Amino acid sequence: MRVLRRALLAASVGAAVAAVLRLRGSGGVPPRQGSWRQLSGPDFR
Amino acid sequence: MVSLPDKEAGANSADRIFADVTTVAVIGAGVVGRGVARQLAASGVVDRLILGSRRPERLRGFVRQLIGVDVEVIAPGPLPSVDVTVLAQPTGGHAELADEALGNGSHVVSVSDSIKDVEALLDLDAAATKADRSIIIGASFSPGLSCLLARHAGSRFERVEEVHVARMGTGGPACQRQLHRARTKEAIDWRDGNWRKRPGGTGRELVWFPDPLGARDCYRAALPDALLLSRNFPEADRITAKVAATRRDRFSAWLPMLRSPHNDGGPGAIRIEVRGMRDGIQATDVIGAIDHPSAVAGAIAAIAAEWSLLGALPSGGWSLGMLDDPVPWLLELEERGIKAAVYQGISTS
Repeated sequence: MRVLRRALLAASVGAAVAAVLRLRGSGGVPPRQGSWRQLSGPDFR
Repeated sequence: MVSLPDKEAGANSADRIFADVTTVAVIGAGVVGRGVARQLAASGVVDRLILGSRRPERLRGFVRQLIGVDVEVIAPGPLPSVDVTVLAQPTGGHAELADEALGNGSHVVSVSDSIKDVEALLDLDAAATKADRSIIIGASFSPGLSCLLARHAGSRFERVEEVHVARMGTGGPACQRQLHRARTKEAIDWRDGNWRKRPGGTGRELVWFPDPLGARDCYRAALPDALLLSRNFPEADRITAKVAATRRDRFSAWLPMLRSPHNDGGPGAIRIEVRGMRDGIQATDVIGAIDHPSAVAGAIAAIAAEWSLLGALPSGGWSLGMLDDPVPWLLELEERGIKAAVYQGISTS
């Protein structure tokens, strides 16, 4: 029983840590518009 | 810092005086080294190529592909006396070899992306200047093309405040092993005039590379781009470099490589974001490129070697980010099929 309680405690602590990391992680804001345009000779001058 | 190469006078082999035999040594015959050798053989400015390899017997088939130049294959040992030495071997020991090559009166081109190598090569600046020879540091994909693009984008600003480099993809197996090591080593960020060491693998950022590679999570790693770019943008508040990584990359970064690296880790991409003041307002430019890193590294190192032969490059130890004018390099790369792209749609405020 004690082993089961410890396992449950470890799993819940792990889940809590994972949830915090997941929620606090910052992935940046993707651009909403725009596109890539290839540069050629005249663009460099 | 760098004058334009005088193509009218010397780029064509028919125009050159054939009294001297121009010789280039390419040390390291991996994916990048072979790319450099192919480009130099096709350039028409090199008469003789010396290829350095740990296993010379494996190069017989490759040597037969190099037409129009005399080719000699050598095993590890003292460096030969040549006009230009291209160091395309795995990272580590590039500065020692560069020092030896300088002693032989040779220009040096290094493709190393190791911070330790880059720092040691920068320390050879005085010796190279005294010998009237050039050491071109980080002549590859990143650093290399990344520095050229950052320099070009930065020239459009009155004041550059931030430069952020991100890359994905690798060259050959040695490049993949180096990146594997770099993921767990300390990264160096330029912050308000000082170096700040940050743990590798931190600082997740979603970066949008040129299509079709698209968005990838990028993290800090021991990359030398900031070290080289800080010389050109000393007034910048922040200069950072990150590399794309998957969850598996991050999980296995602390372990030995779990499988043999690919023969070529491309395609890859670089994206440089430059922020600063232009026309009195805050502006952001994003410039990038997509290509096989090994092909780009081969082209840039070959251009550096060719232009060193033509006497078009200054003496001393420098990187492509320290150029006064990166445009000739970008135009030459475009001629060789390596094109940059700019992201349009970034707002200014």
